[in-house]
Amino acid sequence: MNTVIPDVALIDNSDERAPLVLVLDCSGSMQDENKIQLLNEGLKALAADLKADPIAARCGRVLVISLGGDSNVEIMGDWTDAMDFTPPDLLAGGLTPLGAAMRCALDEVESQKRQMRTAGVSYKRPIIMLLSDGESTDEWRQVAAECKSAESAHKVNIMAIGIGDQANKETLGQFSNKGALSLSGLKFKELFIWLSRSIRAVSRAPAGGTVQLNPVDSWAQLST
Amino acid sequence: MWRVFCASATGQRNLEQGAAGQDSSHYVVTADVLVATVCDGAGSVPEGRTGSDFIARALADDLASTVHADPSLCEVQADGCARLEATILSTIDAVRTRLADLAASRELALYDFSCTLVGCVASPRGGCFFQIGDGFAIQQAANGDSALSHPENGEYADETYFVTDENWKDHLRLTPLPAPERGCVIGLMSDGTAPFAVNRARSGFFRPFIDPIAAFLREATAPNGNEALRNLLESRRACEISSDDKTLLLAFVL
Repeated sequence: MNTVIPDVALIDNSDERAPLVLVLDCSGSMQDENKIQLLNEGLKALAADLKADPIAARCGRVLVISLGGDSNVEIMGDWTDAMDFTPPDLLAGGLTPLGAAMRCALDEVESQKRQMRTAGVSYKRPIIMLLSDGESTDEWRQVAAECKSAESAHKVNIMAIGIGDQANKETLGQFSNKGALSLSGLKFKELFIWLSRSIRAVSRAPAGGTVQLNPVDSWAQLST
Repeated sequence: MWRVFCASATGQRNLEQGAAGQDSSHYVVTADVLVATVCDGAGSVPEGRTGSDFIARALADDLASTVHADPSLCEVQADGCARLEATILSTIDAVRTRLADLAASRELALYDFSCTLVGCVASPRGGCFFQIGDGFAIQQAANGDSALSHPENGEYADETYFVTDENWKDHLRLTPLPAPERGCVIGLMSDGTAPFAVNRARSGFFRPFIDPIAAFLREATAPNGNEALRNLLESRRACEISSDDKTLLLAFVL
């Protein structure tokens, strides 16, 4: 007896999205130790790893915000599906306006949510990842408090990560209820592969479940 | 009057973790009435599968015997099907209380048995969909017109509501159904199946999916049809679309 039903179209008609905002410090100090280059390579690894997974490639939605340079805070292109994500080539230079960059990230998350709701697209809780190697050069306290309350209200998940010894972990830690983590050495690539795997897990999370992210020991410096 | 097929496939995510599938389904046909249920146990609680098994089975059995004793309950009037809706509400309440007793006897909380619910009572006099949380129910007439019960999620796609919630009555959704005619198909599914079984506008079945299945099942024996349906839900392509458990129950009016 035939147990294969012929000619059935199996197509994903759902449009569930897992939004990710990368807030990346591209200030002058990122030129040191080739950090900006390693960051760019990490972004390429992120893009490739997301695309290698059919579910993450379809569900992941990425926005890059850079801080530094002439314009201080710059949204690098539009939100893109992970399958179409081409990382920008980031250059180092300029200041470290963490407050303005995170304000921009919060606004972008909320406006992206509004757009998705209007389009009837369902979504997972957005993730904002903040990566910085320095000291904020603008007023950041008010925005940091808003970040924490947005997290408490389940509006967003925020990960704040310090790069190298000069990163002010205390300031970074104020942007998330979970505090800040430190990148071990310059393991950008390991960090972004971990992030991609987290997006894979989030994309697959079933209704009502909690997402168990992988341990961060591939890239985080756990002893302080 | 009814031909019913049903299959479940454990999602990749549970398979990788060595966990059992959390979906359960059950159906009862008495005389011309079909009562069917699909439940999806929460992956985040210890007894999600026990909860989904218990609710699916007890609710379908109890509703079927109540409706069998009083077939007029199914009659859909101009003002809907208030008597049937009241019966569904009180039966869920009673079954939920029994599950709470089971939980207490094992020194667990009702929450530990969290599961979603989507189900139907269908008869030539009319019927009703009932749903708490996610999953999908569709009654598609021969001309393609569809009555639907949609999933209800929290703000995020991975949050939903459960029969076991304190405020379950706030999230119980009841959808009166017209009398099904020949050529009608009713589908109940868990949230793992909906991405490919429901169309993009979420207004009915995805026809390139359901039409070949309906054509096949109308000619199939029950064991053959169920196995073919399970093969489809377990197929590589279906697993690429959703790594969640997948259940599909299809009932055809003869």
